[in-house]
Amino acid sequence: MTSQTYTFRIQRNMPGQVGTVQSHWQEYKVEAEPNTTILTLLETIKGGQDGTLTFRQSCRSAICGSCAINIGGRTRLACKTHVGAVAKDGVVEISPQKNQPVLRDLAIDIRPFFSRVHGIKPYLQDGPERAGKVTSTAYDQVNHVTQCIMCGCCYSECTMAEVNPKFIGPAALAKAFRFVSDPREGLKTERLQDLASPNGIWSCTRCTLCVDVCPKEVAPMEAIVKLRTRGLNKGINTSAGAKHALAFHTDIKQTGQLNEFTLMMRTLGIVGSLMETGMAIHLAKKGKIPSPFPHSVTGVDELRRMYESLERSPIDVETKAKEAVPE
Amino acid sequence: MTLEYAYYPGCAAKQIQREADWAARAVCQELGIGLLAMPRASCCGAVSLRETKPAFALAVAARILSEAEAMGKDLVTICNTCLQTLTHANYRLSNEPELLEKINAVLAESGVRPYGGTIKVRHLLWVVTDLVDSRTLKAKITHPLKGLRVAAFLGCHSIRPEEIFNHASNTNEGPHLERLIQLMGGVAVDYVGKDRCCGFHVMLSDKHEVHTMAAKNCLSAKDAGAQVMITPCTLCDMIMGSVQPIAEKTVQRTINLPEMNFAQLLGLTMGISKERLGISRLHIDPVPVLSSIGLA
Repeated sequence: MTSQTYTFRIQRNMPGQVGTVQSHWQEYKVEAEPNTTILTLLETIKGGQDGTLTFRQSCRSAICGSCAINIGGRTRLACKTHVGAVAKDGVVEISPQKNQPVLRDLAIDIRPFFSRVHGIKPYLQDGPERAGKVTSTAYDQVNHVTQCIMCGCCYSECTMAEVNPKFIGPAALAKAFRFVSDPREGLKTERLQDLASPNGIWSCTRCTLCVDVCPKEVAPMEAIVKLRTRGLNKGINTSAGAKHALAFHTDIKQTGQLNEFTLMMRTLGIVGSLMETGMAIHLAKKGKIPSPFPHSVTGVDELRRMYESLERSPIDVETKAKEAVPE
Repeated sequence: MTLEYAYYPGCAAKQIQREADWAARAVCQELGIGLLAMPRASCCGAVSLRETKPAFALAVAARILSEAEAMGKDLVTICNTCLQTLTHANYRLSNEPELLEKINAVLAESGVRPYGGTIKVRHLLWVVTDLVDSRTLKAKITHPLKGLRVAAFLGCHSIRPEEIFNHASNTNEGPHLERLIQLMGGVAVDYVGKDRCCGFHVMLSDKHEVHTMAAKNCLSAKDAGAQVMITPCTLCDMIMGSVQPIAEKTVQRTINLPEMNFAQLLGLTMGISKERLGISRLHIDPVPVLSSIGLA
């Protein structure tokens, strides 16, 4: 493999007066082979060109999560990212993680992220739902999310955290799922009730960014979807998000089609719908109020039979973690 | 080669966003793409059904895919969430034989033809950019965009997760929507937010946040010089279009970025009438911008 010159365009951030950060972009040239990691090259710059460049790093092996930064428009681990894979015309743009305060250059204040993680009580609790026996398959859900290294890539990209700093966020919710699905946890229902509160599981936009940016294949959104299912199965269904989700199978059984006309009322209730009339007026102006009586699809009775069959004899379709085997 | 598909427009295009369906049909008629009706197809259930009734969700998707299979045609849709839901189910049913067997047993017991796992799920945008002969497409674009600056809003559910959309994103040519803009003679504006979320799926539960998302994405595109925004998704259309005027009030800034479905803009470049494409149903009137390049 031949080496080439790469331009690193790095966002420099200097703390100013309390709560402010002065930012500018600075360029560095480095010689590297395409499979050199971004972390190696940041160290090259720090060691040989500019000792003031500040960034976090530790293990170099994608296991400590310290070096998560925004590289080429996505939050990634610098130690796991090859320069050749992210350079555009030889240029690599680097800035700090998003959605948390910047301290200096590429280092951020990670406390908001960890306060969410601590908020979900990341430990087993004693209680009535604690299983007496632990079977060999009991960890196939727990193992789905225990790969998380708390690097914060998902929180940095989270589209809901961006507009709502109170949102618990993907990593903490994946961690919560780890405890909800652990047979030894005693307070599963209480957890699910807490997680269904505002800024919890029902605020995820399902944009799927957390799934794609996770360097450890934790797929946090899949864990959030499973938390919603578990909550609904326990009858925790008073939030707007839960009511909205519940409308779907009712409609599919009745006509096969979503009834958009009554969907809003079922989600928000009458008062909520009236408050939503700003939107209704906009739609009405364009003749866009949907019919309250959608046509039934052909063979809707088949859908009812499928539904009843599965209510009678449920099938477990949850994705399972592969059995862990020592390498 | 004749392109013919089992056509699955999705609930939004059958109701609130009907103009996207009109535009898709008009464009396909011009390009000689056959869109065959699926009278048995139900709502795909979106992620919501996966949450409430995960097994029923797979069975519902299998029933839809089975109808396309019985027609002997791959499935085409114009809604990103339908695309993701059906692709996700298809991915699982094709890769997990035991799961397919169990779901097919439910279908058979309910009088539904079992699914053989042979159908591909595609977005109409992919068909137009990847499968229609590029000379045919160019010949049909009689009213090019003349360098109009267009923001492509990609929509989450046609690009993520990579695991199931690998075949689609596996090209170095850039996103389909940006390639289409270039084919139409426009300039695809690069802006932060093009691959982020419209917020549709929390529209009713996290209203304020959705307004902020819509405003941020539209303002980012506008600040990058976009004159019009297009999306490949009827749900993104609903937010970026109908919610944009409300979002303006939330962030107290004028945005006024005309937004439309990709098929509507494509139809205009093919000389299809505004009436057939439902341009008057758009919330931010694109006519002033489009008339400047003789398009409307």
